Amino acid sequence: MDIEPSDLIVGLLMAALGLTGLILASGAMDDGMYVFGFSLFVFACVFEFGLMRRHFDKREAGRHG
Amino acid sequence: MADVALAMPRPVPDYNEAVVKKFVIAAVFWAIVAFLVGVYLATELAWPQFNLGLSFINFGRLRPVHTSAGIFAFGGSMLFGTSFYVVQRTCRTRLFGGEALANFVFWGYQFFIVMAALSYVMGFSKSQEYAEPQWHIDLWLTIVWVAYAVIFIGTLMKREEPHIYVANWFYLAFILTVAVLHIGNNLVVPISVFSSQGYSMASGVQNAMIQWWYGHNAVGFFLTAGFLGMMYYFIPKAANRPVYSYRLSVVHFWSLVFLYIWAGPHHLHWTALPDWTQTLGMAFSIMLWMPSWGGMINGLMTLSGAWDKLRTDPGLRFSVTAVGFYGMATFEGPVMSVRDVNALSHYTDWGIGHVHSGVLGWVAFISFGALYYLVPVLWKRSALYSTRLASWHYWIATLGIVFYITSMWVAGIMQGLMWRAYDQFGFLQYSFAESVVAVHPYYVIRLLGGLMFLGGALIMVYNLIQTVRSRTTEQPVMRLAPLAGLDPTLAVAGE
Repeated sequence: MDIEPSDLIVGLLMAALGLTGLILASGAMDDGMYVFGFSLFVFACVFEFGLMRRHFDKREAGRHG
Repeated sequence: MADVALAMPRPVPDYNEAVVKKFVIAAVFWAIVAFLVGVYLATELAWPQFNLGLSFINFGRLRPVHTSAGIFAFGGSMLFGTSFYVVQRTCRTRLFGGEALANFVFWGYQFFIVMAALSYVMGFSKSQEYAEPQWHIDLWLTIVWVAYAVIFIGTLMKREEPHIYVANWFYLAFILTVAVLHIGNNLVVPISVFSSQGYSMASGVQNAMIQWWYGHNAVGFFLTAGFLGMMYYFIPKAANRPVYSYRLSVVHFWSLVFLYIWAGPHHLHWTALPDWTQTLGMAFSIMLWMPSWGGMINGLMTLSGAWDKLRTDPGLRFSVTAVGFYGMATFEGPVMSVRDVNALSHYTDWGIGHVHSGVLGWVAFISFGALYYLVPVLWKRSALYSTRLASWHYWIATLGIVFYITSMWVAGIMQGLMWRAYDQFGFLQYSFAESVVAVHPYYVIRLLGGLMFLGGALIMVYNLIQTVRSRTTEQPVMRLAPLAGLDPTLAVAGE
């Protein structure tokens, strides 16, 4: 495993936050909470993909460099 | 032995500049948003038809968008970006916590800004100035802020330099105090975990006092201490001179952080707040003259022997003018905190003029100075694309501020005088509507000032984009050699 500890910790934190966002959106009592919860879920997904992309970019660069 | 060690060239660590670049880009973007919304609001105030009957662009909803975009989005991005830049260089070490945590702080903070702005235009607000976001957005900011503090403090702890440079002290005070203020002022009991609504844990005058303890220290620690950190790094670097008096900077720091925290009650003169508390706030506000002017003198005198650089370096001109505005705004503030002056100035446009002399003259100008320094360095360019355009920016923006603050002074004092004028029978001489009509021309002048400030900022954006993209600036950056007889490590510790 060549995953940096920082990537792992932040990745897990974002997964938990994204899930929280989804739960908030599902039970939202007003538009404010719905928009926030759903946006948090989308934000967390995009951030996770960013982490993965950077991880594989680095591995690729290491292989060719 | 130590002298030999100092003389040895040391390898430059692999700094995390990517996150600094992101914050620089975000700061420039949000600056334009903040100025644009401000100009639109000034238009609405002069000609209310510009509300267009649309709820999401009425003054009440757009006003927090303007203040949050200016303070938290533009100012905050500048503070995050420059603090990450400064702490790495003055500690000679890469940011603590890895790339992922730094990216989380950047994107998490941008997410906070977008969510807050969206909630305002949708009509959600806690109705507390500069603390409008609802509890769940506040909670999100707390998570991001803790991550920011971990990175900054962690970097300080693993520093390769024995000394913590004074700019970092100011940044640290900003980070820690804003955390305490944010949590203290936003303690809310939500009506449900699924609702954005909640009740503040304090009520009545206690709520007002806590709000202005927060509000004034948002000025003191977000808009002052953090930007003083910027001043203590970028002015010495741009002028290539050490800080005028390091001892004065330390006295400046401790006196500022001790005094500022007590000054909040001056926002609540002539209210239900007990008289003694109002007097306490007033007394501490007046005492703030000392550290404020001590800091201003220290910033200005750093240019001793290098004043000629103001002719050739427009970025440094911005920074030094900012320090002048800092001195002026921090002179005016204590004057306005005197209860009898406040009786005239409070609730009038004088307050708006005062705030803008601080945020445009001090906060924005010191940020522009830092941006003009940082962009060529971060993007490894030889120099700015055009110092002439930067000069144009400087003069247009300065003139814009002059239009803005003088029109607001006149409008504010006139409002105050009209509201308190009595006729010989003891009746109010003017209706409120008459004072609204009387200030109309000054609102138009204010709009002109705002347009000039926005125009200047757009020139800066073009100049910075060209600095990064133009072929004329392709040579890698070469900073000036230190002045004769001056140790190159002296300008800023650690570098």
